[in-house]
Amino acid sequence: MQVFVDGSGGRRVAAALVSWTVASGLVAFGAVVAGTLLGAW
Amino acid sequence: MRRTPWLHWVSILLALLVLMCVVSLHAYAGVRPKPVRHAGEQLDLPRGTFALAFHGGPDPKWTPRTLDRLRDAGVKATFYVTGAQVTREPDLARRIVAEGHQVGLDGFRAEGDLGTGLNLALAQAALADALDGHTTLVGAPREIDAGYRDFLDIATFVRKSLQPKKGVIRLYDNGTLGGDAARRLAKTRGYEFVRVSDEPLIPVAAHERFTGAVTTWAQRNGGIVLVVFGTAIGIAALLGILRTLMQLGLAHNDRRMRREEEAPPWFAPPVSVVVPAYNEALNIAAAVTSIAGNNHLADVEVIVVDDGSTDGTGEIAEELDLPGVTVLRQDNQGKPAALNAGIRAARHDVLVLVDADTIFEPDTVGQLVQPFADDEVGAVAGNAKVGNRQGILGRWQHLEYCAGSNLDRQILHALRCIPTVPGAVGAFRRAALADVGGVSDDTLAEDTDLTMAVTRAGRRVAYRPEAKAWTEAPVSLKGLFRQRYRWSYGTFQAMWKHRGALAEKGPMGRYGLSYLVAFHLLLPLLAPVMDLLVLYGFFVADAPLALLVWTVFLLIQTASAGYALRLDGESLKPLWAYPLQQVVYRQLMYAVVIQSLITAVHGTRLRWMSVRRTGKLANAPGTVPVN
Repeated sequence: MQVFVDGSGGRRVAAALVSWTVASGLVAFGAVVAGTLLGAW
Repeated sequence: MRRTPWLHWVSILLALLVLMCVVSLHAYAGVRPKPVRHAGEQLDLPRGTFALAFHGGPDPKWTPRTLDRLRDAGVKATFYVTGAQVTREPDLARRIVAEGHQVGLDGFRAEGDLGTGLNLALAQAALADALDGHTTLVGAPREIDAGYRDFLDIATFVRKSLQPKKGVIRLYDNGTLGGDAARRLAKTRGYEFVRVSDEPLIPVAAHERFTGAVTTWAQRNGGIVLVVFGTAIGIAALLGILRTLMQLGLAHNDRRMRREEEAPPWFAPPVSVVVPAYNEALNIAAAVTSIAGNNHLADVEVIVVDDGSTDGTGEIAEELDLPGVTVLRQDNQGKPAALNAGIRAARHDVLVLVDADTIFEPDTVGQLVQPFADDEVGAVAGNAKVGNRQGILGRWQHLEYCAGSNLDRQILHALRCIPTVPGAVGAFRRAALADVGGVSDDTLAEDTDLTMAVTRAGRRVAYRPEAKAWTEAPVSLKGLFRQRYRWSYGTFQAMWKHRGALAEKGPMGRYGLSYLVAFHLLLPLLAPVMDLLVLYGFFVADAPLALLVWTVFLLIQTASAGYALRLDGESLKPLWAYPLQQVVYRQLMYAVVIQSLITAVHGTRLRWMSVRRTGKLANAPGTVPVN
């Protein structure tokens, strides 16, 4: 088994969840702030 | 193979964009442009009625005094505030509203700073955060100009203000006259004082309040982000200086000692050269011919291990029909398995392991085995050079091989902890390979893994710069990314696998791993901040200063690269491409490190990523023509 490789898949699922959460959180954050400012603009 | 992670790039790019906006807003709000009076409409007030309009606040020193005076006089007024100042003094803004006064907007940073609609949006966002509301009063109505306040006494100011018998009186709450003048005006009989408008603040929605909180936070804390950026740059700069000093000290010293050392008698053991090959049809003939054409003083057998190629690599090698060359075939099992098969089949105790996209010079084999005259030496790293230097990408890689890899190797040779005997040109003592159980497939950088294992087993790894091999570098950015991604990820795998060395007494843990962590992990992760700050400097802050810092940084790096070229006996001509390297190439290398780290966290299994070959190595400098 190669070093770092996640045999069970648990780490990969957890990392993917974190990744999706962070990305979607940032997208939502950006959309709200930019949308509000641009809307007022 | 599962797809490699990619979503983090969205997060990283968005996070960087957000951070750049934060520091930019912080800097933008800190600059106060020259106030410009708003040429408003005439406010229709009954005769004998005046509206008091205060400008310039809220001011921590004067606004409380003004509010006290107005309260004492029982007068309600209108405060035209600026968004940036409301963010600085939100409690005062709240007190203005709490005491029944009206709030209007003069601009974002100063009166009239409404040049772009964005400024108004930012000013309204400041109100949303401090007051939970927006105002419809943007810019004051036409006001009675009683003259410049600094040159008037209060009595004159009051007399001139009341002369029109009605209107909006312009006052300031960032100086003494405003509150006192208001009190004096209120005492004058026969006049009524009102607000410019009785319209209440418009309540804001949750997303507007959130946006206000965000822009307010950015304005207040952008400085902290800059400090964090500055610290990262400081650490990166320190690491860069440390590496330069090590270059000047260790690499130079290593080179000098080599020159001064008396050359030992020429060592000429019989050698087995193992060439693992997978779909290397374009390069295999040139590679094998160059190795077979060696001028080593003892027997050299060449074992080509065709690892299940589908492009006729094995057939091409066989058709060469060169003396001393054997071709083994196996199903595709990966490079480590091919190497182990070749090692098992080899007859001699000194083994040269070489990639099939590499061209040897006639004396490469002989040079490479010289350090084995010392019994302590278990492995020898040769000097891999870029063979296809045509084009900007080839030149960049040539510079990186000299200024990066080879210089690193000289430094680490001096510290006796070379972490990688390159797959392109390296030699091992059979006993050293036996000690560590052969070539492992635990990592994608089998050469680094093997070298670390050999060092940890107590054997010395030497560097022989005279043993030159010309390798084919990727010719596209995509190919380069794939190659470096594998190298970087594989190196991290090897570092993690051999992390136990940190607790051992040997040089690999003390110096080798620390060097890799500092210069191959930490530095590439911190250095992008420098690029960000230069961009910030160019577009937001002090462009000439940013240019100066960037130029000094570039000059130091170019000088360092020039020194590396000199150490390697190379021409300085390709240095012209070095400044351009800072724009695309360097960022690609940072991306490789980040991608490797994220892949490691995800636990994704990566396969060997092959790079498209061009077969242009036959023209590499220093090679003999292939007939």
